[in-house]
Amino acid sequence: MDADSDVALDILITNVVCVFRTRCHLNLRKIALEGANVIYKRDVGKVLMKLRKPRITATIWSSGKVICTGATSEEEAKFGARRLARCLQKLGFQVIFTDFKVVNVLAVCNMPFEIRLPEFTKNNRPHASYEPELHPAVCYRIKTLRATLQIFSTGSITVTG
Amino acid sequence: SSLDVLPRVTCPNHPDSILVEDYRAGDMICSECGLVVGDRVIDVGSEWRTFSNDKATKDPSRVGDTQNPLLSDGDLSTMIGKGTGAASFDEFGNSKYQNRRTMSSSDRAMMNAFKEITNMADRINLPRNIVDRTNNLFKQVYEQKSLKGRSNDAIASACLYIACRQEGVPRTFKEICAVSRISKKEIGRCFKLILKALETSVDLITTGDFMSRFCSNLGLPKQVQMAATHIARKAVELDLVPGRSPISVAAAAIYMASQASAEKRTQKEIGDIAGVADVTIRQSYRLIYPRAPDLFPADFKFDTPVDKLPQL
Repeated sequence: MDADSDVALDILITNVVCVFRTRCHLNLRKIALEGANVIYKRDVGKVLMKLRKPRITATIWSSGKVICTGATSEEEAKFGARRLARCLQKLGFQVIFTDFKVVNVLAVCNMPFEIRLPEFTKNNRPHASYEPELHPAVCYRIKTLRATLQIFSTGSITVTG
Repeated sequence: SSLDVLPRVTCPNHPDSILVEDYRAGDMICSECGLVVGDRVIDVGSEWRTFSNDKATKDPSRVGDTQNPLLSDGDLSTMIGKGTGAASFDEFGNSKYQNRRTMSSSDRAMMNAFKEITNMADRINLPRNIVDRTNNLFKQVYEQKSLKGRSNDAIASACLYIACRQEGVPRTFKEICAVSRISKKEIGRCFKLILKALETSVDLITTGDFMSRFCSNLGLPKQVQMAATHIARKAVELDLVPGRSPISVAAAAIYMASQASAEKRTQKEIGDIAGVADVTIRQSYRLIYPRAPDLFPADFKFDTPVDKLPQL
């Protein structure tokens, strides 16, 4: 499709989602009352903490599992997670930073040409699935890389996985 | 059967000869000499004689419902019905024999789903072949058990959608939603899961699939329908509407065709029939409006000329 001008294909990572565990039970009420920049969602049982420095939104459960979203790179995700753990430590919990794992990376890429979705789907039968009533993009799954690409007709492509 | 190893009896005179069963009389007869060698074979003929002028509805030789062996593993069960006479009710007015014990328990859910499918198909007047196909799909999905957690109604609705697609007469998700209690989102999810579970794929929908239905519902004459079909097809060929759902394009084409003819329809009416918002029709219409003269078929009789078409 785009063989010769591979040079100018900018692909931007827009979101990195990671999880880590603090090996201790966290008191959500205490975090909600004493922490800065926190939102307590009692009906679901979690606390949202938004950090400004690396722009991170973290979802904290009382079991000690934390999910971190909003980072722009894997490095930043790790920094943000560590900073978060430090925050919790300052609030008085015995936090140990374990099991850090990047779960999902979302990237956006733009093709300089438009794409004809029905023909594309016909040529890539098993991998591509297109349902115009449900979603205007073709969903192309690559099993080997465990990646899902959403291909829009304007040429922009979203890669997750 | 008498073709097996002759079970107990042979004709004493002709030990090798084949015995013929005469089921009417319950005998086994030697085919060589006609000797009756076995008797009291169970008679599988009819219990009562039926005459042609007798009450046609009650055929006493049939004693069961039509079997559905393809779908529910053979239905040879008997159910005790509710009593009819006075003797079947005890003092308080409750019936004496309470439950019809659930006979086909293993496939109760499946039979329930089949009933639901028939109801749904009935509401939109789908022919029997689509309903049969839906039943088959449902059975396959049910046996696979990969979608066991999902509501049966959702799976049934998704099977109905797939069956319509496979038969070449797709119905939009919104149309299936209208006859089902399941949300479009859930039907869409089940649809994708079923395709993955059964490892099939379906053809893409085209604008032409819906033209005849939408136009008939709006009461538009054949000319307008053909014109709209032509417009939509041309619009997709020329790629004037990239990324738009074929339903929206079809609706916009119908709007354009109807506005150019004597039978004008408003965007709201078309949106109502097609299940698209009228702003969506407006958007798609704006995309095809510039090339309007090219899109109409060559022999179309314009009631309102092309340049006077409304511009939104």
